[in-house]
Amino acid sequence: MADHDSLEHRLAEQGISRRAFLKFCAAMASLMALPPGSAVAIAAALAKAKRPSVIWLSFQECTGCTESLTRSHSPTLESLIFDMISLDYHHTLQAASGFAAEKSRDDAMQAYYGKYLLLVDGSIPTKDGGVYSTIAGRSNLDLLHEAAKGAAAIVAVGTCAAFGGIPMAKPNPTGAVAVSDLIKDKPIINISGCPPIPAVITGVLAHYLTFGELPALDELGRPKAFYGETIHDHCYRRPFYDQGKFAKTFDDEGARNGWCLYELGCKGPTTHNACATTKWNGGAGFPIEAGHGCLGCSEPNFWDAGSFYAPLPAPSADVTTIAEVAAVTGAAAAVALSALDRAKKKRAQQAHEKLTVKDL
Amino acid sequence: MNTLQRGINAMIEQIDAPIATFFTSCVHCGLCADSCLFYTETQDPKFTPIYKLEPLRRIWQQEYTFWGKLMSQLGLSKPVTDAELAAWEPLVYDSCTLCGRCSLACPVGNDIVYMVRKMREGMVASGHAPEGLKGATQRAIGLGSPMGVNLNTLMAHIHNTEKETGLSVPLDKEGADYMMVLSSAEIAEYSEIVSAVTRIFHQAGVSWTMASDGFEGTNSGIQIGSSDLAAELLSRVVRAAERLKVKYVISPECGHAYTALRWEGPNLIGRPYHFEVIHIIELLDQLRSEGRLRTEGLDETRMTFHDPCQMVRRGGVVEQPRNLLHMVAPNFVEMPDAGIQNWCCGGGGGVSANERAEPLRIKVFSRKKAQLDAIGVDTIVTSCSNCRTMLLDGLEHNSMNLNVVGLTELIAEHLAPASK
Repeated sequence: MADHDSLEHRLAEQGISRRAFLKFCAAMASLMALPPGSAVAIAAALAKAKRPSVIWLSFQECTGCTESLTRSHSPTLESLIFDMISLDYHHTLQAASGFAAEKSRDDAMQAYYGKYLLLVDGSIPTKDGGVYSTIAGRSNLDLLHEAAKGAAAIVAVGTCAAFGGIPMAKPNPTGAVAVSDLIKDKPIINISGCPPIPAVITGVLAHYLTFGELPALDELGRPKAFYGETIHDHCYRRPFYDQGKFAKTFDDEGARNGWCLYELGCKGPTTHNACATTKWNGGAGFPIEAGHGCLGCSEPNFWDAGSFYAPLPAPSADVTTIAEVAAVTGAAAAVALSALDRAKKKRAQQAHEKLTVKDL
Repeated sequence: MNTLQRGINAMIEQIDAPIATFFTSCVHCGLCADSCLFYTETQDPKFTPIYKLEPLRRIWQQEYTFWGKLMSQLGLSKPVTDAELAAWEPLVYDSCTLCGRCSLACPVGNDIVYMVRKMREGMVASGHAPEGLKGATQRAIGLGSPMGVNLNTLMAHIHNTEKETGLSVPLDKEGADYMMVLSSAEIAEYSEIVSAVTRIFHQAGVSWTMASDGFEGTNSGIQIGSSDLAAELLSRVVRAAERLKVKYVISPECGHAYTALRWEGPNLIGRPYHFEVIHIIELLDQLRSEGRLRTEGLDETRMTFHDPCQMVRRGGVVEQPRNLLHMVAPNFVEMPDAGIQNWCCGGGGGVSANERAEPLRIKVFSRKKAQLDAIGVDTIVTSCSNCRTMLLDGLEHNSMNLNVVGLTELIAEHLAPASK
């Protein structure tokens, strides 16, 4: 392919072989739980993709999301994929500064009107006319409305942009809100997490480049492929939960044995994210593997949902008693139903008319 | 009761804990399709094994499950009709040889062939069994053999054998250790078996006999799916064996005779036997390991072994025929999928007696042809006389010039002289 602007060509220039590229595509396909054949489709689409323009706006945030994306997997193919889109504006990463920087954003918005992807991290303060966070003298509120107008889709990166996050935590002095609270007329993907898993960010972008549409989303606007199940569902400590083996303090026998952290406040059972499977730092591990419970950072209001160390609510009555009553009731019903079935079978046996050769 | 009620009643009667468990466990993965000869060779999804059981599944659901009963009470479920059973007849009989390959393929362990066997109880009771199989069963009950052979036919073979070998063929000898049972096809078409076992048992010093009132082991009752008729046929052998007080009954080279005698028998008559059942090949291998079966000379022909379904999958008899073959066949080669996963000849489970099924049976022989084409042999050895006939038939339709021989006869041909 002589298309010098194509992704595949750019990758080749940077010493990324086609084999490595295809491996990335297959990994993306499996990560997003797409059918196996999709790897080829992804490869074909990405190879031809013409670096769509991306504008990244950072509002009330800590730059952790950018850190997550750029650092954790760098310099793997994933970060290069990100290089390969045309990142026309990004506070932290752009070389330009001052008026030049603002001009490049304006130029991109004009040149790719209706086509560019808008990535937002950080929440947007709305109180007092949005004066609590400004860039080049303009409020975040103003910038977001302006940039959203010409965007093909908006990706809210991180819990702040997706759900308001820490800036929105009580008492929310700046009146911070999420992107979806302000923009109602554009497709929005929420990639929540504080910060989100880098592969999830690149995965969603790859999906968009491949299929030209947003992936399937859950009721909170998060891609189902990554947020479809809870941390608890896939936690390697789950067998201990099922056996009722819990660490009671962070330095007891149970903690040393790697037992379940439920009683130490782990929010894994109510948190939807891919940490337990995709993991962090190039697959090195995730918080529970380091001995700390999940904080639930990819869920709305996680900062205000009570202590990180208070266990999630459990059934109020004694579980053993409930189980015993249920078992006895169930067994009684089963005995009664099976007696009916037995009687039916017996009737059928009594009604059996012996088959003779004459019946044939 | 009309025939439909009688059929449905029979299915209600047949549904047991295993069947309830199997239907509940089925995950609808469809893996059984690829294990079925009739699906792989036609790619027609109606031949998916579990689908062949659909009427039985519906009856189970409506009669034995909570929601099914509730739906029936509310009049929301569709009862199984006579027309449906008629439509299913070719699926249950023509496209299933009871080979049991699907039962091995099922990832949740559903014994599908067990259910097909049980469903046939309902089908035959409702009058929906193939004409060919009905005829075979009528002959078996009325004349003593599905192929119409009788004691006179056997006596002729016995006399010939005695003349040819100079050995006496024991008949109705009380107190013998073993009672030999033959298959209908052996008596009708492969009568050399009489001479073969006579010579082998003479060399090995086996105390044996045949019974004039229980010499035929083929069980059409099992194939058509009627326990009542199967029990009647089986009782002849059981009565003879217990009258002659033998220790063992030898199953012939016949798949369903083996299944009937060895596995279904005591359940059919409702009590344990007073003897044990052993397949002729199992016995020959036992004699070999004891040094009582000696052969001489080798057959250099390139040959392979066709595992009869009932022997490998239901019976687990895999090593024994190979041990015997290695005595005489230096150029023995295995077919692909040989052993437990071997493909059916296409004519088991009553299909061979069902003329209507013949075009389909010939079509699906393509699998056996592919197996044979892969190894290029001159001779196929097998240990089931029905397989043998079906193989010959399939080869002829495909213009393949191969020999098909029975294993017992092959061994008998190479028997070392009796002198020590």
